[in-house]
Order: sequence, then structure tokens, then C-alpha cells
Amino acid sequence: MLDLVPHLLNGLTLGLLFALIALGFMLIVGLMEQINLAHGSLFALGAYIALQFLGPKPPLPPELAAQWLALPLGWRYGLALLIAPCVAGIAGIAVEVCMRRTYGKDPLYGLLLTFGAAMVIEEGIRLTWGSRDHVLPLPPEVSGGFIFHGLIWSTYRFYAAGIAAAAIGLVWLLIEKTRTGAIIKAGAHDSEMVRALGIDLSKLRLGVFVFGTMLAAFAGIILAPIWGIRPHMGVDAVIPAFLIIVLGGVGSFWGSVMAALLVGLAIGLTGAYASEWSLLSIYILLVAVVSVRARGLFGKKSLLEA
Amino acid sequence: MPHSANAARIVTPTMLVLWLALASAPLWIDAVGLYPYLGVEILIWSIYALAFNLVLGTSGLVSFGHGAYFGVGAYAFGLAQFNLSANLWICLGVATLAAGLAGLFVGLFISHRRGIYYAFMTIAFGQIFWTIAIKAYSLTGGEDGLLNIARLPADFGVVSFDISDNVGLYYFVLAVFVIVVAALWRLVHSPYGRVLAAIRQSETRAAHLGYPVWFYKLTVFALSAAISGLAGALFAMAQRAAFPDVMSVNLSGLVVMMTLVGGGLVSFWGPVIGVVTFLIARDVIGALTFAWMIYFGLLFMAIVLFRPEGIAGMARPLFARWR
Amino acid sequence: MAGISRRRFVQSSALTAALAGIAGFYGPWKHNQAYAQGKPIKLGLTNDASGQFGNSGRDDHRAIRMAIDEVNAKGGVLGRKIEWITADTESQPATGTRVAERFITREDCAVLIGALHSGVANAITQVANKHGTIYLNTNSSAPSEAGENCSRVKFVWDGNGTNFTKAAVRNAVQSIGKNWLLLTNDYVYGHSTAAATKAEVEAAGGRILDNMLVPQNTRDFTAYLLKVQQLRPDVVATAMGGDDNKALREQVTQLKLGDKPAWINNQQDWPDVWGAPDSLFGVFGTTWYHKLKLPGVDEFVRKWQAATRGTDAIPVPGNVSYNGYMATRELFRAIERAGSTNNIKIIQALENLKMPAADRLQHFDAYINPNTHQVQQTVYLARKNARPSDSTDHFDILSWSDPKAVEDTAAPAKCKLIPYEQVRTVDA
Repeated sequence: MLDLVPHLLNGLTLGLLFALIALGFMLIVGLMEQINLAHGSLFALGAYIALQFLGPKPPLPPELAAQWLALPLGWRYGLALLIAPCVAGIAGIAVEVCMRRTYGKDPLYGLLLTFGAAMVIEEGIRLTWGSRDHVLPLPPEVSGGFIFHGLIWSTYRFYAAGIAAAAIGLVWLLIEKTRTGAIIKAGAHDSEMVRALGIDLSKLRLGVFVFGTMLAAFAGIILAPIWGIRPHMGVDAVIPAFLIIVLGGVGSFWGSVMAALLVGLAIGLTGAYASEWSLLSIYILLVAVVSVRARGLFGKKSLLEA
Repeated sequence: MPHSANAARIVTPTMLVLWLALASAPLWIDAVGLYPYLGVEILIWSIYALAFNLVLGTSGLVSFGHGAYFGVGAYAFGLAQFNLSANLWICLGVATLAAGLAGLFVGLFISHRRGIYYAFMTIAFGQIFWTIAIKAYSLTGGEDGLLNIARLPADFGVVSFDISDNVGLYYFVLAVFVIVVAALWRLVHSPYGRVLAAIRQSETRAAHLGYPVWFYKLTVFALSAAISGLAGALFAMAQRAAFPDVMSVNLSGLVVMMTLVGGGLVSFWGPVIGVVTFLIARDVIGALTFAWMIYFGLLFMAIVLFRPEGIAGMARPLFARWR
Repeated sequence: MAGISRRRFVQSSALTAALAGIAGFYGPWKHNQAYAQGKPIKLGLTNDASGQFGNSGRDDHRAIRMAIDEVNAKGGVLGRKIEWITADTESQPATGTRVAERFITREDCAVLIGALHSGVANAITQVANKHGTIYLNTNSSAPSEAGENCSRVKFVWDGNGTNFTKAAVRNAVQSIGKNWLLLTNDYVYGHSTAAATKAEVEAAGGRILDNMLVPQNTRDFTAYLLKVQQLRPDVVATAMGGDDNKALREQVTQLKLGDKPAWINNQQDWPDVWGAPDSLFGVFGTTWYHKLKLPGVDEFVRKWQAATRGTDAIPVPGNVSYNGYMATRELFRAIERAGSTNNIKIIQALENLKMPAADRLQHFDAYINPNTHQVQQTVYLARKNARPSDSTDHFDILSWSDPKAVEDTAAPAKCKLIPYEQVRTVDA
């Protein structure tokens, strides 16, 4: 029985990481009722931009670059975590501007458009950074392992899970407890009303989409030291993100977070005790849940099931 | 899909022209810089895309896991050939039946679901089938593939055709294509097809009209899976092998793209147009640049944005009187 | 044709003709310039340039081109120039079939060269079998390539999972410990390699604690790594491939778990190592290294650098490019020896080939096993280099094994080559 404890702990940290991967996707689905299949490619883009900033040739003017390189890696890493998502946000703006034409149509069009965007971004990454693998340098403060209960654990993983938990909490506070959040939510549910209040709906949607993009890119940077960086890493992110949303139910923030934790536990526990089934387990979990509950765990009625 | 006088016919002028063009293809395909095997692939993917469009275009249901049924057909064809009987008709029948049953099984789980839940359930089942194909390697050969699948002779009792070379296989696949096109055309324009179109318009309204919507969704999915399996069986003959890759999310996504680019949402012929465009473009552009996917992705985005009705929709004014 | 006016019909057929003309003009395939007097010999290069193996496939491709350029500079083969044509096989078997069909039936290629993904290699072999075309599998290291999926027309140039296992296991059971844990990718390559490891471990008196199967596409290995610690084996032997292997490397080195227990890994391809040398851990295999202390190695490295100058190629050749180069060079020599481009004669010239160590830039003589068509070559064991001599020096070569000692003795029983009479005769 005691053997089980480390695997439960691992499952929970993995679940938090999955929640972080899905967070941007969740936001766009929940508030805009759009499936952003480019989520994975934007996730990858975030990792690559951070790589560029942390590598030997940062994309900065020469004098600034010298100063930047003089900073300790920990500082640069922290700053890259903030800067890279902003840069990736520009790609998000481009995608949202294209996407405007699909608003009001069948959500299928948004989904297909972002599918195309995903291809373009991935190929763009391949052209810019090549097809080979890269490693994101990690500051020594957070790398390595520590011993807990006689087992070695990855230090970075716990930092990453902590960051994931904090990000989830902050996003929730933003949506539920601030005026901006209230307007965004209102805009999703009753766009007429928000427009009547004199709020520019298209700016609001742009803002939500870009924020979702930035969260995707942020997750990419956090996951990069665990997965490694390669052009098609986006596919590894978008499928679990999509699965988590469907499992949790569209429009339910905590439903998705809970789904992510379930997915993490399923992979973690099957990984230890029935290893060959670990990836299949999440699909079987989804089929089992959605067969019984039409809208996942806590889904609400939405345009996405028309 | 707009109705016209042709809807009631079994064979329309478009079909005749298309079939004649295709039947003469082996005579000119080398001259335009292509090759018979590409023709075989185009026909097989066309059958697959037409079957897929029964779900997407006709019924308005999004399946991102159709590769599973294509793959089941390919494996079933090979396994039937090795273990049951090396008879073309039996093997094709087994492949179609196996894929249809797989579709029926999955349909039982998904037919009560809608929209995003439906779409993702198809992905989940697609992943399950793909994983099984890799895991069950003693049966399927895993990533090495199920090899040495023969191109069996088309035996009609009195006369038997050898289809082991590419041109022979091309004509056999063309014959299957002709039958599938005619059958699907009838189906789409039958009362059954009209209920599917109503479901596409609005599931809720169709349900209020008293149609057992889930039953229609179930049967059309199984039917589409069965024909996809038939295409998969033909593909196993073309490749002389079956591989799990056709069941992956990527290749399932490819058939969605081809169908939409061609205009599957507005035209019966959309999927065929999409397949022809995509496969030839891949051959031509793919040889000029390794980064051809970026151009194709941009083209795809442009079509979704500006011409969601696809190539068939764009060409419609040109062929206003020809369908 | 009711409803279609004649004019419109003419218009549309003119359009078709125009499109066809464009297609004919532009290709659709890449050709290099034919500059020979007399009929050139044409090779089809079937390299994965995209998809999971795209990175290694491009390395393979460059090396094959280097060998072709070299032979052309010396006046070609049998006095005939070598031409080549290529297309991306996309790490997809379906594409492999299409490309092979094209190269053989339309481009009249005499030989096909290039492979990474075993499924793609098999798809190409199926087509090559049918037409009797010789196919050189340069870099697909699945043991089944020279076992149940062998072919009279196919030659396999890479060392496989069984060869590396034989080189590593016996010694490790004696020197490190008897309790072994296997970490195996749940697909054919993983299983056949794990089976070879199990047999070797047990033959040497060790025992297998568990064989943990890892699904393909696994990105998080923490559950497995915790389990490894709980089971406390002396040695963990992995048989992982592709991106899964790379993610595992990241996570093991992150945990600094690479030293205890001891890890025995299979071959780590140079293009996969190049971007992430710090994630190397444990002992792993390779067929070649650019800092082997043998005559000719430095010259080969310089030739590579001259050939790839101005490209984004890895600045030094590795095992993948080495295999691609050697396969192509030996093909040319075999054609010269056969004195003909008749496929049966070339096959016979390759089947009993002996390659002297000095010529192969390896420690031992290499040879092709006529019963499996696999090249039997020196297998090296290496670990991460703690004292690199320069920025490319990532491996610390620990040992080299004689090909005879590491040969897969079970392969000939699984491999059934068809008699020459049943191979369709072709001559380019």
C-alpha cells in the first residue's frame, strides 16, 4: 500500500501539468466557444521563443544582448517566462484576426481554420529553427533531484506543478473576481447586452484569444525541460488538452481542472501498475465518462454541440 | 445539397464524363508526368473521402477518427487472405463487414452525442484502434506492417482478370469506384438521405419531426465505416501491405482536409475534387520544396475563410448547368 | 451530355491540358542534371525528410549524395555517370510505397537507397520485391529487417538491437549485477530487442525482475522512474525509440538517475544526440564515431565537412551518415565487380562481401551474411563524454566488439530468401 503513495503524488503533479497545458484551450473554449486547434503549435512556439532568448544569440540589439547575457541564467529564465508568451501573443493576434470571419458561423469553421493555422505555425517553426531537437537550459536552482521517502524526485517537476497551480488560481480569480472577468463572461453569454453597455466586443474577443495564446506559450516553456523541444511537440499537447476539455465538460472551469487531475492520475497509476495501458487509459476513461454523461463531468449547454 | 432533375437518376452526365476520363487515364497519365500507381491511390482515396463525406457533408457530423475504419478494412483484407481464403470477393466482403461492425460498435457509443463531444469521441476511438494495431503486433505486424498481401485475381467464374500490375489494379479500383459512386448518389437522394440532410440542418428539429435521430446517426456512421473499410482493403492491395499509420490522427485529419478543400459541404463531388487536387499537388509541390505543408496550410486557411464551400463551390458558377 | 454547351466543354478541356502541361514541365520530381555520355545509372533516394525521422533522414541523404559525388568525380561506375532522384518519404509507409512505385516504374531507377523507419523500409521492400529492384536499407535497425522481413533484393547496413544487446549484456551481468529490469517501448522493435536482452541476461546467469512496457508516444516517464527506484534493479536495459527515447533521456538526466542503477541503452543515433548531448546517460551503442582513433577517420570527417559546407548539416558525420555513405560506396564497388548492372549479378557481388577494417574505418573486418543480407560490423559501446576534446566530442567510446561475437544467430532461421530464379531480372 505504501508503494502506492509516490504514484498518487506523481499522478497529481502530472495532473497539474496537464491542467496547465489545457488552461489556454479551456479559456478560449469556455469564453469564446471556439476550439483552438492551433493551441499545440502555439505551445511549441512559446518553447522555441524562450529557447531563442535563453540561447547564445538572443533576438535583441547588440548592446542589450550583451547585458542580457550577463544576467544569471535564473533571471533570464524568469524573464523569458514573461517575455516569450508576449511574443507568441503576436501569432495569437494574427490567428484571431483571421478567425473573425468565422464568428457566427458553424463552430466547425473556427476549428478547421485553427487546424490550418496549426500546420502553418509548425512548418514555420521547422523553417526557422530546423527539424532537430533542442534542450531548454534550466537554471541550476530548479534542476536536479531531491530525496523524499527514499525516492529521488525531480525538483523542477514540483516547481512546474506549483507554477501550474498558481496559474490556475490566478486565471480563476481573473475570471470570477474581477470586473474584466465579469465583462468577458458576460460577453460570452450575452454579446448583445455587452455591446449595449458600450463595450467593444471584438476587442474583448481579441483579448481573450491572445490571453489564451499566451497561456499556451507559457505552458510550452514550462513543459519544455520535461519533454524536450521539437517541431511536432504541439501535437503532444493539443490532444490531451482537447481530451481534458471534453472530459471535464465545456464551460466548466473546475470540471476541466478535475478532468486534468483524473487524466494525470490515470496515466500515473496505470504507468506504475499496468504500464502498457497508460496512454490508452485516458481514452477509455473519456469513453466511459462521456458514454454516461452527455456533457462530460460538469459540462454546460453550449454552441459547440449544435 | 441542391436538388436537380439528376437527383432521381442512377447515372448522371457528370458521372459518365468522369468515368470516361478516368477510364482513359492509363493512356495519358505517363504523358503528363504522373504514373498509374498515383491513379490507383487517387481512386482509393476518392472512395474513402466519399464514404467519409456521407458523415461530414451529408449528415453534418464531424469524425476525426475515420482512419480507424480504413485501417480495419486493410488489416481485415490481409488477415482474411492469409487465414480464411485467398479469394478477392471473400476478402473484400470480410474487410467491408469488419469495418462496418467496428463502425457500428463505435456508433453505439457516440450516436447519442453531439458537436464537440461527438467529434472528440471519434478521435478517442481512433486512438484506441491505432494503439491496438500497434500493440497487437503478432496479428498485425505492428509498425513493421502486415506484409505480403497479394493483389488477388478478380475471378468472375467464366473469366478471371489478373490485377497484379498497376494498370490492372487501376481498372479494378475504377470499377469499384463506379459502383460506390452510383450507390452513394442513390443513397444521398433517397428518403433516407433526406433525413440525414435534415439532421445536418438541425438535429433538434429532425428529432421533433419524429425521426429517431440516433438511429440514423448510427446507421450512417456504420455504413460510412464499411465503405471506408472497402477503400482500406483496396489500399492494402495497392501497398501489398497494411500499416498502422493510416489509422493515426494525422491521416484521419488529412481526409477531413481533402474533403473540405474539395467542397464536400456543398457538393457530392467535393471529396473527389479534393483528393485529386491534394494528391497531385503533393506530388508536384512536395518535390519542389520540403516545406510544402506551409503552403498547403495557408491554402487551406484561405479556403476556410473565403470559400468555405471549397473548390466545388468556386467552380459552381462555371459549371452552373453541368452536374 | 445534356446541359453542357460545346464551348464550355472545350474550355474546360483546354484548362485540363494546360494544367497537364505545367505538371509535365515542372517535374513533378526533383532531377539532377544528367551530364554523362552514354546511359547514366539512376538511383532513387528514399529518405525521410519530414515526420518523426526527418532529422536523421536528411543526414542519411547527405551522406548518400556525398558518395555519389565522389564516384562521379572519378568518372562514374563502369564508365557511366550516376544520376539520382529523391522524394520525401515522410516517415510514412503509405508515402514510401508511392515513392518507390514512382522511382521504379516511371523513373527506371536501378537501385533504391535510404531508410530510417522500419515500416517505410518494409513498404519500399514490398515494391522492390515485386520489380526485382535492389534496395539498400541504410539505417533501419529493427532486428526483423534481417529476420522475418528480409528479402533477396534488400541489404541491411545498420547494426540492430540484437547486435547491441549481445555486445553489452553478457559483460554487464558479470561486472554490474544479476538483477535486471527491462524498459521496453510497446512495439515490434522494442519487443524483439527486449527478447534478445532477456535471452542474453538469462544465459549469463542473471534474472529479469520485470519488463515494463511503455506505450508509444509516452512523454512522461516519472511513473516508470519511480517504479525503477522501488524495484531496485542492478541494471535497467532500455529498448526505446524515437521521441519517447528523447523524452526519457531528458527525464533521467534531470533526476541524475543515470548512474545508479546502471543503464544499458540501445543505439543512440547521432542526429538525435546532436541537439541534446547533455541528456546522454548510461551505456549505449553505436556503429561508428567520428573520433575513433583509426587511420582515415579524420580524412572522412574533412570530406564530410567539405561536402556539407554552407548547409545546416551537423558539422561532423555520425552513425547514420556513416551507414548511408558506406552502403552507397559498396554498391558502386559491387557494380564494378559484377561488371554489369544486372540485378542478380549485383546481388551476388554483395552477398559474400568482405570489407577490411581499414577500409570501413572500424576496428574489425565487416562482412555481409549471405543468409540474412545484414552487414555484420563492429559494434561500439559508449557513454557520455566527461572530458570532451572539442564541442563535437559527445561520446566516450568504452569498447568495441567483433562482429562475429555479436551476430544475431537466430536471424538466419527466421529469414527465408527466395531463390535467384524467382527474382525478376532487371538491368539498368
